[in-house]
Amino acid sequence: MNFPHLHLLLNHFPIIGTIVALGLFLISLVGKNEDLRRASLITFAAMALLAIPTFFSGTGAQGAIKKLPGVSEALIERHQGAAMLALLFMEITGAFSLVGLWKSQGTSTRARWNSTMSAVLLFSVVTVGLMARVGTTGGDIRHPEIGTGQEELTEDSVISKMISRLEPSPSKFAELMTASKWWWAFMMDLHFIGLVLLIGTVGILDLRMLGFAKQIPIGPLHRLVPWAMAGFGLNLVTGVLAFTGMDQYYTYNWAFWIKMLAIMLLGVNVAAFYLTGAFESVESLGPGDDAPPLAKFIAATSLFLWFAVITLGRYIQSYSDTISVHK
Amino acid sequence: MAPPLFLQTIEDTGFSTWLRESESPFAFYFILLFHTFGLALLVGANMVVDLRLLGVARAMPLAPLKRLFPIMWIGLAMNAATGVLLVIAYPTKSLTNPDFYAKLAIIGFAVWVMHKLRKQVFDDSNLSELDMTARGAALAKWSLILWLAAITAGRLLAYTYKYLTYPS
Repeated sequence: MNFPHLHLLLNHFPIIGTIVALGLFLISLVGKNEDLRRASLITFAAMALLAIPTFFSGTGAQGAIKKLPGVSEALIERHQGAAMLALLFMEITGAFSLVGLWKSQGTSTRARWNSTMSAVLLFSVVTVGLMARVGTTGGDIRHPEIGTGQEELTEDSVISKMISRLEPSPSKFAELMTASKWWWAFMMDLHFIGLVLLIGTVGILDLRMLGFAKQIPIGPLHRLVPWAMAGFGLNLVTGVLAFTGMDQYYTYNWAFWIKMLAIMLLGVNVAAFYLTGAFESVESLGPGDDAPPLAKFIAATSLFLWFAVITLGRYIQSYSDTISVHK
Repeated sequence: MAPPLFLQTIEDTGFSTWLRESESPFAFYFILLFHTFGLALLVGANMVVDLRLLGVARAMPLAPLKRLFPIMWIGLAMNAATGVLLVIAYPTKSLTNPDFYAKLAIIGFAVWVMHKLRKQVFDDSNLSELDMTARGAALAKWSLILWLAAITAGRLLAYTYKYLTYPS
């Protein structure tokens, strides 16, 4: 496994997955099928999560091919700019999907239309379009057999010209992130505040499921989860911005990649909690009630992984330059 | 004006040098890691109590949140211990930086508020939920502000120091 391999492995998911999720979402609207709608929202959220390491793996893939003959730096830059814009819309789609899932808790099986669903529809349609462009511009870098055969930067249609004007220039964006040490300090400060918000709320929920402070009923404690999501969102934004500012630094760093793996596993952990019946089994537990083993197992895994994320994040600084392939 | 000489004396000890320069993952970054764990416990648990007192997750009974205070004290103890070690590793860097003293003062206030919160709101088991919220809301607001300020002051230590080590 190397960076181009990782990038190719990951990059089909956000593109294809978003199209599939949008299809399911539209069908669920027509058929008023609540289960299908939830499935599509979960898929949007999952793709938003997977899009993060996909985006990050691009830098290493670039490093591996940029010196090969016939590879145009300008085409890579265009692909990267397209990816940044698509990532923004992907994450907004994922965020609205999670809000929709949160709101749909305990409602009837009849799918109801609301402003969150309008937002999901709007942003997912734009995301699918932008993702298509990410795929196309990415393919242009290394697939002359497709037929466009571009070795130079050309914009063929009016629409792609218009979109390309909205896309950030990766190098200028990186400069912007690192221009002031105070901006960087501010981002890192927010990253720590997000960490505290997340680990405080999730950690206490996990500890309660494991049997600590049993006088707290779990249902009401679970109302804190949006604050955990806010903390995660804050760290996602500051984390991605930091990466775009110093992509070389993070790319060739083992601690960073294992941290990303741990975060992906946490996505699985959250899915396991809400989709295997573990949540339903603890939702109505009152003071003194014990959680079943599955819920305890999921809680223990969550605690372990979140502390692993903090640990790996702290060690990024001392593990710089620990990956040497294709640098 | 050169920094006081005792800073150099601390820096020259074998322990300080080892903390600072060792390639072992169990030296400086290990201490820093536990300083972050302590932060997560202390401020994480504190924030949940503060948010509840300010009206978040109202359905959650307040009284059992008393159990979160030991987590905060454990976090504080961890951070006091690891904090001392971090100062031993970089005495000149921390002790010549005004921000370091600002951070200590802010933490002092925050811990005082935390103690008051415990005494006035959680130690009197005769209080109703309404009384607890009435007594605790203002303290909770200060607690949140002070801990956010403490984190910020702590983060700024990495960007505002004048000397990394004693100037030669």
